[in-house]
Amino acid sequence: MSSLDDPGEVREGFLCPLCLKDLQSFYQLQSHYEDEHSEDRDVKGQIKNLVQKARKAKNKLLKREGDDRVEPGAQGYESFSYGGVDPYMWEPQELGAVRSHLSDFKKHRAARIDHYVVEVNKLIIRLEKLTAFDRANTETSKIRAIEKSVVPWVSDQDVPFCPDCGNKFSIRNRRHHCRLCGSIMCKKCMELIGLPLANKLTSASKDSLSTHTSPNQSPNSVHGSRRGSISSMSSVSSVLDEKDDDRIRCCLHCKDKLLKREQQMDEKEHTPDIVKLYEKLRLCMEKVDQKAPEYIRMAASLNAGETTYSLEHANDLRVEVQKVYELIDALSKKILTLGLNQDPSPHPNTVRLQRMIRYSATLFVQEKLLGLMSLPTKEQFEELKKKRKQDLEQKRTMERQAALESRRKLEERQSGLASRAANGEVRSLRGIPAPLRKAEGWLPLSEGQGQSEDPDPLLQQIYNITSFIRQAKAAGRTDEVRTLQENLRQLQDEYDQQQTEKAIELSRRQAEEEELQREQLQMLRKRELEREQEQFLAASVHPRTRALDLREVVPFQLEPSRAPHSDLAYALDQDSSPVPGSAAPGTLSPGCTLAPIRLWSGPPALSQSTVPQQSKKTSLNPFDEEDLSSPAEDAASPAATETLLSPSAAVTREYNPFEEDAEEEEAAELGAGNPFTDPNSPAPNPFDEDDHPRPASPPAPGNPFEECPCTNPFEVDSDSGTEAEEHIEEELLLQQIDNIKAYIFDAKQCGRMDEVEVLTENLRELKCTLAKQKGGSN
Amino acid sequence: MNVVFAVKQYISKMIEDSGPGMKVLLMDKETTGIVSMVYTQSEILQKEVYLFERIDSQNREVMKHLKAICFLRPTKENVDYLIQELRRPKYSIYFIYFSNVISKSDVKSLAEADEQEVVAEVQEFYGDYIAVNPHLFSLNILGCCQGRNWDPAQLSRTTQGLTALLLSLKKCPMIRYQLSSEAAKRLGECVKQVISKEYELFEFRRTEVPPLLLILDRCDDAITPLLNQWTYQAMVHELLGINNNRIDLSRVPGISKDLREVVLSAENDEFYANNMYLNFAEIGSNIKNLMEDFQKKKPKEQQKLESIADMKAFVENYPQFKKMSGTVSKHVTVVGELSRLVSERNLLEVSEVEQELACQNDHSSALQNVKRLLQNPKVTEFDAARLVMLYALHYERHSSNSLPGLLVDLRSKGVSEKYRKLVSAVVEYGGKRVRGSDLFSPKDAVAITKQFLKGLKASGYHRVCYWRSHL
Repeated sequence: MSSLDDPGEVREGFLCPLCLKDLQSFYQLQSHYEDEHSEDRDVKGQIKNLVQKARKAKNKLLKREGDDRVEPGAQGYESFSYGGVDPYMWEPQELGAVRSHLSDFKKHRAARIDHYVVEVNKLIIRLEKLTAFDRANTETSKIRAIEKSVVPWVSDQDVPFCPDCGNKFSIRNRRHHCRLCGSIMCKKCMELIGLPLANKLTSASKDSLSTHTSPNQSPNSVHGSRRGSISSMSSVSSVLDEKDDDRIRCCLHCKDKLLKREQQMDEKEHTPDIVKLYEKLRLCMEKVDQKAPEYIRMAASLNAGETTYSLEHANDLRVEVQKVYELIDALSKKILTLGLNQDPSPHPNTVRLQRMIRYSATLFVQEKLLGLMSLPTKEQFEELKKKRKQDLEQKRTMERQAALESRRKLEERQSGLASRAANGEVRSLRGIPAPLRKAEGWLPLSEGQGQSEDPDPLLQQIYNITSFIRQAKAAGRTDEVRTLQENLRQLQDEYDQQQTEKAIELSRRQAEEEELQREQLQMLRKRELEREQEQFLAASVHPRTRALDLREVVPFQLEPSRAPHSDLAYALDQDSSPVPGSAAPGTLSPGCTLAPIRLWSGPPALSQSTVPQQSKKTSLNPFDEEDLSSPAEDAASPAATETLLSPSAAVTREYNPFEEDAEEEEAAELGAGNPFTDPNSPAPNPFDEDDHPRPASPPAPGNPFEECPCTNPFEVDSDSGTEAEEHIEEELLLQQIDNIKAYIFDAKQCGRMDEVEVLTENLRELKCTLAKQKGGSN
Repeated sequence: MNVVFAVKQYISKMIEDSGPGMKVLLMDKETTGIVSMVYTQSEILQKEVYLFERIDSQNREVMKHLKAICFLRPTKENVDYLIQELRRPKYSIYFIYFSNVISKSDVKSLAEADEQEVVAEVQEFYGDYIAVNPHLFSLNILGCCQGRNWDPAQLSRTTQGLTALLLSLKKCPMIRYQLSSEAAKRLGECVKQVISKEYELFEFRRTEVPPLLLILDRCDDAITPLLNQWTYQAMVHELLGINNNRIDLSRVPGISKDLREVVLSAENDEFYANNMYLNFAEIGSNIKNLMEDFQKKKPKEQQKLESIADMKAFVENYPQFKKMSGTVSKHVTVVGELSRLVSERNLLEVSEVEQELACQNDHSSALQNVKRLLQNPKVTEFDAARLVMLYALHYERHSSNSLPGLLVDLRSKGVSEKYRKLVSAVVEYGGKRVRGSDLFSPKDAVAITKQFLKGLKASGYHRVCYWRSHL
C-alpha cells in the first residue's frame, strides 16, 4: 500500500469510483453520483453498500471511542466479534422468496360463498313468510297449508330412514318435515326455532330493506300471553299432534346456518370494552412517539444553552408528554383488571391477553420515559445562554486567530517555496498551473496524520477540512472553499454537541463513582459481619443466598480462603488464574489440551480461517482509513505538508482543549441542573424551599401519598399554579414510586425474594423522606 | 446468508402485513420453535402480538377482537385443524402463512371451509427450519437413518427443510454430495427433484458462479463428535445440552428456581455472542470482567437513599441493572456448572487421551492410557465408552489390536450393555470400510482443509448439512 516512489497513485477520501473525482463528503459524492452516473444502476448498488458499511464501521468506532473513555474496564467482553463470523460483513439480505395463494383461495371461496349466501338468504325469506301471519289465531290445517306452500315438502315414501340418525320411520317414529327446506327427519333430530329468534333474523333483513319500519316488538308479547291460554285450552290436541305452533320446526342443518347468521349479526354490533380501551391506549402511544422526539430535541437544545426553542414551551410539552404517560399507565391498568371480579371469572386466555397488554405498556413507558431528559430552570437557562454566548465569542476569536495564523504560515511557505523543492505532492500540485489541475481533478491532501494520536475522529475530520480549506484557498478554488466551509460548520456543530454530551456523562459518572466507593466501604464492613455470622451457622445456608454471596465475594477477593467452600468459586479462580495447574494440582491446564483439539475441529477451523480475509476487507475500506489515520496514510503523505502546516494545526489543537474545558464547566452546571437538586438553595432537596408555597399535587390513584397522614388541605388553596416545574418533579417521582412497585410485583412473581426486600426497603426509605419533607414544609 | 435474519424477516413481514390491532400468533409445535429462536417475547409484544396459541390446543376461547396470524407447517393435520378453525372462526380475521409448499387441493379445501370470509391472506413463507446461529440451522431431527438408509419421513422433512432454506436465502444452487454416501446422494436427488418441480419459485437472479449446496455424510468422520469440546457453546451443548437455545439446569445441585431453565441466545445476549466460540479458559477471565463490571453498577442493599436524586438514579438504573444481573447470574451458573462437571468427570485428562487417540499414531501408549483411564472411578461410563470407541475407530486394523481386552475392561467397570454395544455400532457406522478417505493421517487433514478453502473461495456460497445419526 505504501508507495513513496509513486505518491500520485494513492488517493483517499470520497472518491467517485467511476471518474475518480474527489468529492469532499459523502453527500456530495452521492449527489455527484446521482447526477452524473445515474444510468449505471448496478454499480450504484455497490457503492451504496460500501457507504453503508463505512457508516456502520464509523458508528461502531465512534461508539467505542466514547465507551473507552468512560470505562476502560468494560472492554474485555464488549468488543463484538461473533467468533469469526461477522454477519455484518455479509451482503444485505432481502426478504426470502414468498408465494401467494390468495387469488386461488379467493376463487374457490367465491364459488362456495355465493352458494352459501344464497342458501342462507333463501332460509331467511322462508322464515319471514312463515312468521308473517298470525300463527296463534290461524287453524292448524291452514298453518300447514301455508307451510307447505313456502317450500315443497319431500314426499314421505321417498324417505324410509331418518337421514341424520338412520333410524327407520314407523308409526311410532313418525316423519317430520323441515319447514324451511322441506326435508324429512325424525323427532329426535328435529330442531325448533323460537319466534324471537325468527323475528331477530328477519327483522335485520327488513331493516336493511326499509330503515323506517322498525321491528315491532310489542305485538309479540301480546301474542305470547294469548297463545299461552290457547295452548292450555287445546292441550289435549297439542299432545296428540305434537303441535308446537309457537315454534317453527326445522332440520339441524337449517338451524345451524341460522344460528351462525345470528352470531355474525351479534358480533357486528358488539365491540368489547377491551377493544375500546386498547384503541385509546394505542392512540396515547402514538402521541408519545410523536411528541417525545420533539421534546428530546428541545431539551437537548435548551440544555446546550441555545435559544431556538422557548423554555416555557418545552415545559408545556414535558407536562403534556407526562400526562400521556400517566394515561397509558392508567389505561393499561384498567385493561389488566377488566372483568376480573366478574362472575363467572373470565377465560384464562382473556386474563393472559390483558396481562400481556399491561406488560407491553409498562415496557413502553419504561423505555420511553427514561429517555426523557430534564430541563434547566429559568435561572440555569439564563446562565447557560450566557455561557454559550461566551463560548461562541471565544470560538470566533479563536477562528480569527487561526485564520491569521494560517495566512502568516501561507506567506511564510510561499516565500520558502523554492528552498523546499524536493518535497511531496502538495507543493508540486500547487506549483502546477490551473488548467493542468483541472484535468487531474483537484485533490487536497489530508494532513491529519501529524496528529494521528488524536482520539476523536470528528476532531480529526475537522482538522482535515480546515487544512483542505487552506489548500483550496491557496489553489484559488473558491467554490470548493465554500462547500468545505459549509462542511466544517456542520462538523463543528456536531462536535460541540458530542462534547457536551460526553461532559454531562462524565460528571454524572464521577458522582456515581464517589457514591460507589462509599457504598463499597459500607458493604465490606457488612460482609465481614455477615461472614462471621455465617460461620456460626452450619453449612446449611440457603443455596440462593450463598450463590449471591459468592458472586460478590469473588471480584472483591475479600477472603480467598473461602473459595474452596463451593465448586463455583473454585472453578472461577481456576479459570482466571494464569496457571490453572497450580489451582488444581494433578489436572492438566485447558490451554495445553487446546492445541491438539484445534487440529481436529475441521469445520470450525474453516470458519476461523476466513477471519483474516474479513479483517483485510475492513482495512481496505477507504472511508475507515480516513478516520483511523492508518499508518499507510502516514507513509504516503509527504513529510513536507506536515512540517509546513503543523503550527496552524497546533493552534487548532490548543483551541480545542479549551473548548472542552468550557463545555465541562457547562456540564457541571447541567449536572447541578438536575431537577431534584436545587443549586440556589443549600438544602439538598427542592421541597424544603420555604419561599415558595409548595403545590400539593393531586395524588394519582394508587399513589403512596394517600397513605401520608400529613397532607395539608390548606396547601391546595395556596397553590398558585406558578410552580409548574415542581409539580412535574413530584409527578415524576410518583411515577417512579409506581415503577418500583411494579418491580416489586414482578420480583415477587419470579420469586426473587432478596430483590423484593431491597426494593421494599427503598420504597419505605423514599416514603419516609417524602413524609419528612412534607412535615418540614408545613 | 444469515438464516436467523431470514426467518426473522419472514415473521416481521407477517406481523407487519396484518396491520394495527391486537394479534394472536397461531402456530404448531414446530413453528413455535422456529419463531421462538428468532424473536423474544418482549420484542414481539411491541408489535402488538399479545397471545401465542397452538392450533391443536382445544382450550382456545372465542376472541373476535383479535386478528390471527397463522404460521403453520403444511402438514395434513394442520390443514385439518385449520379447516375446523375456519368453519367456526374464533378470531375476526385470519392471515395464513405456510412454512413450505402447500398443495393446490389443500388450498381449495381451506377456501371451501372459509364460509364466513375471515381469511385475508394465504401465503407461503419459507421459514421451515430452526435458525440457531446466523450460519447454522437445524431441523431438530433425532435419528434420521435406519442402518444406512433414510427413514422416509425424515428424508422428506430434510428435503423440505433444505428447499425452504434455499428459498428463504433466494439461492438456486448447484448440488454436490459425498459420493461414498448413499444417503447423501438420495437427499441430493430429492432436493433436485423439488427444485425442478417448483422451478418458478427458484428463478432467482443468476450469479456468475452458482451457489453450491454441499451435502456431507457424518459417517466420513465419526471421530469429531466423539471428542470432548472446549469452546463455550460446544461445551454447553455437550455437557448440558442446548435445545432451541434453552438449557435445562434443573439437575445442577442447589440451583435456584428462576435458573432451572435458562435461554442462551446470541441475538439478545451480548456476552454470549462474544464468547460462544471462545475457549473455556478465556471465558473464565471474561466472566470475571463481567462480574467486576456488574459490581460497579450494582445498587447496594445498604445504600441509603438519602436524597431524591439517589432515588431517581436508582430507578433509572434499575432496569438496566436487572437485565445485567440476569445475564451475570445466568453465565456464572452455567460456567460454574461446566467447570464442576469438568472436574467431576475428570474431563481434562479424558480429553487429553482423546486427542492422543485422534491425532497420534502411538498404539502402545494410547492403549496404556485408555486402560489407565478405564480404571479411574471418576471417568463416567459414557466417557469410557467413547474412549474405547475412538480406540476402535483408530486402531481398527492394527496388528496388535486389543479391542476385546478393552471391552472386557468396560464390562468390569460396570458400563451398561447399551453403551458397550455402541462400540461395534460406531465401527460399522464410521469404520475404515465406510470412510472415503483416511481420516487418521494428519497430512490428510491439512489437505482437506486446504481443499475446503479453495471451494469456499470459488463458490461463495457454502453450506454444510450435517446430520447426526442416532447410533
